[in-house]
Amino acid sequence: MRRITLIVRGSTNPFLPIEAEVITPEILCKTVRVNVYVGNQKMQLSEVFDIRVDGEAAGPSATEIVLIGDASRVKRVGEYMTDGRIIVDGDIGMHCGDFMTGGTIEIMGNAGDWLGREMLGGKIICHGNVGNYCGSDYRGGRKGMRGGEILVKGNAGDYCGESLFGGVIRVMGNADLHAGTNMKGGNLIIEGDAVMPCGDMFGGECTVFGHVDDFMPTFAEIGTVVENNQELTVFTGDLAHRNGKGTLRVGSYTRI
Amino acid sequence: MTNYLLKNACVIDPVNKISQEMMDIAIVNGHITEEPSKTAEVINCGGTLVMPGGIDSHTHICGTKVNFGRYMSPEDMRAGRAPRGNGMRAVSGYSIPTTYGNSYRYALMGYTTLTEGAMAPLEARHTHEEFRHTPLQDGLIMTLFDGDWGVMRAIANCDIKRAAALIAWRLSAVKGYGVKLTNPLGAEMWSWGKNVECIRKPIPFFDLSPAEYIQGVIKANEILGLPHSVHLHCNNLGKPGNYTCTLGTMGLIPDLNEKRQTAYLTHVQFHSYGGSGWNDFCSRAEQVSRMTNLRPQITIDIGQVMFGRTTTMTADGPMEFNLYRLYQDKWSNHDVELETASGVIPVMYRRKNLTNSIMWAIGLELALLVENPWQCLLTTDNPNGAPFVKYPEIIGLLMSNEYREKEFETVHATTAKRVVLPALDRELTFDEVAVMTRAGQARALGLLELGKGHLGIGAEADIAVYPIVPDKIDPAKQYAEIIRGFAQTKYTFKGGSMISRDDDIVADNQNRMFWCSPKIPKAYDMNNDPELIRTFERYYSIRKENYPVDEEYYLPRSIKIETETKL
Ligand SMILES: [Zn+2]
Repeated sequence: MRRITLIVRGSTNPFLPIEAEVITPEILCKTVRVNVYVGNQKMQLSEVFDIRVDGEAAGPSATEIVLIGDASRVKRVGEYMTDGRIIVDGDIGMHCGDFMTGGTIEIMGNAGDWLGREMLGGKIICHGNVGNYCGSDYRGGRKGMRGGEILVKGNAGDYCGESLFGGVIRVMGNADLHAGTNMKGGNLIIEGDAVMPCGDMFGGECTVFGHVDDFMPTFAEIGTVVENNQELTVFTGDLAHRNGKGTLRVGSYTRI
Repeated sequence: MTNYLLKNACVIDPVNKISQEMMDIAIVNGHITEEPSKTAEVINCGGTLVMPGGIDSHTHICGTKVNFGRYMSPEDMRAGRAPRGNGMRAVSGYSIPTTYGNSYRYALMGYTTLTEGAMAPLEARHTHEEFRHTPLQDGLIMTLFDGDWGVMRAIANCDIKRAAALIAWRLSAVKGYGVKLTNPLGAEMWSWGKNVECIRKPIPFFDLSPAEYIQGVIKANEILGLPHSVHLHCNNLGKPGNYTCTLGTMGLIPDLNEKRQTAYLTHVQFHSYGGSGWNDFCSRAEQVSRMTNLRPQITIDIGQVMFGRTTTMTADGPMEFNLYRLYQDKWSNHDVELETASGVIPVMYRRKNLTNSIMWAIGLELALLVENPWQCLLTTDNPNGAPFVKYPEIIGLLMSNEYREKEFETVHATTAKRVVLPALDRELTFDEVAVMTRAGQARALGLLELGKGHLGIGAEADIAVYPIVPDKIDPAKQYAEIIRGFAQTKYTFKGGSMISRDDDIVADNQNRMFWCSPKIPKAYDMNNDPELIRTFERYYSIRKENYPVDEEYYLPRSIKIETETKL
């Protein structure tokens, strides 16, 4: 088991993003002599982070990376990660865990936008809030998250689970505008409230246990169901799509 | 400026009837000269293939619809990303790259002149701005006149001279090079939610048929003495059975010019379809190429489709709407006031799709069945059929029957019943490829007199040195090397400056715009024409005074071609 602890140094310009796609177990289990971009400058990982390495190297599955300090502008941590574990002690920047296929990322603070974008497998747990486009696709893309699991204990920003294609996103708080837009598959669960979810949905299942504001008129009611001792109204849609076959279940709603 | 001497070049220069001759080429002050400069930098080509710089006679690289393709498909920018380096700025994009991406990739393939296939006149500023940022090629712009109310009215009234004068005014105002008709009168019908179905049927309100319009504009074009002929995208693009419309249109073309064709029909692959619907869709390339063979006044470009992802964009608004109904994905549509329309849709051409496989075969059939390569030029209607970076693969297919057969095995199994491609064993020679990629374009566009498209004494030193030794290669067997060789030159020169060496870009700001301004007698100067002024005041969203493109700002390096007219 090898543990790599990265402590964000205060010395880099706080206005510059740090492109840190190298922070994954498969890369760091071999070497920590890698480069990151700070703005448009290439720098050694050790110039940006204080690095401590404990334990023997034994492949990505036995590697744990711990990020300490303000990592809210550190981007792409865990990109294409396949195995192992990343623990973020505070907040994390954009695009954390995108394209990941396995392993676990646990974020103690808040996550930036695009958490788990286009992810294929593995698990992300965020104890705080997440930004916009959690588990979504990228601009112009057609498939969002395709597998794995994202658990958000706080609230989610806009477009949570946009173009969701597979896997599970569970938000324990509320979700902002347009959660589940363009959903094609997978499961999106929002335990709190949502606003105008699932526009142009044509597959998959979305459940909002709380209240939906601005409920879209293009969903057809097909009955009720009881889950977790709560009655949910079940809809199918989005009928504005030529092949809308998604399921949307809501606790209560007010129409747009 | 550095002067060069290219030694031991295996030169192909079809215009000067030079076919694989070992020669030295001297470049002095940007031109090809008899004697080299004493201070010339000597480059030993070692018997490699040297041709004039490539010329693309129909591509979409600059302008509002190209840019709208970029807006619409941010996912396209995820491909082709490269950081700054090798003399290049950071670039991105595959089918609709950044302007620099286009310019660098064309330069590495040996191309030095590019023709934007369709510019809405009202959107000329944007097009010129993008050309300003396409640093390594000279630019020409085909200007859309397919739905120009003034020209339509003049031709409906049989006043060809007035039509010519209006075309001249607009062409000079927007700094265009040639006259483009995209689905003639189709944009006007599209503003009523309809399309043109038959070239003989007059459209309402103007009482003018596409056939009359095409013939009228061709006559006007020749009255103006423009270097290029009318550049024609026929009606009914992409519809099964449209070859009859194409043949009918070809039948309309008179022979009015001895230097070049009288009509340039673009992306003819999309216009050579048989069948009554998609179920019996088939190739009619034989009929269309036979007609081309019979009519030397016609030059076509093939508009080859290659498999993969790309973006379609055209001024043919109704056609793009039909595509949208087929794909049900993203679609953009645009109406350009009194002038034209456009549409953009991303597409994917698949080998396993019968329609796409037939389309792929038709382009190759045209190139192999048109006997005279001067009449059949190589394009993909970039990016409609495929991004231009596929040109080397198309050259490989045309030069090797073996490669075609191998590829044919990978396409949809029933394709063979719908096309004639497997029966064609012609293999193009290096000379024919040189015609179809530069010399033919120079002749078709009227660029020969401007010293482009050939390597004669006094010509502009636009030169591509390909890492291919023609004596030591059998293209029929070694097609992989042919593809690699045409994909990246050893050196590309433009106007005597080296612009690329291997995969490095070594120059910037070499681009110039060529544009035409016919000399108009006072009686035909439309600047003070009451009807044109009234049209602007009543219908346009901008004033006539604000319409012309400012030469100093938008065309810092340009070549104005003043033509003698018969007005
Ligand atoms: Zn075109």
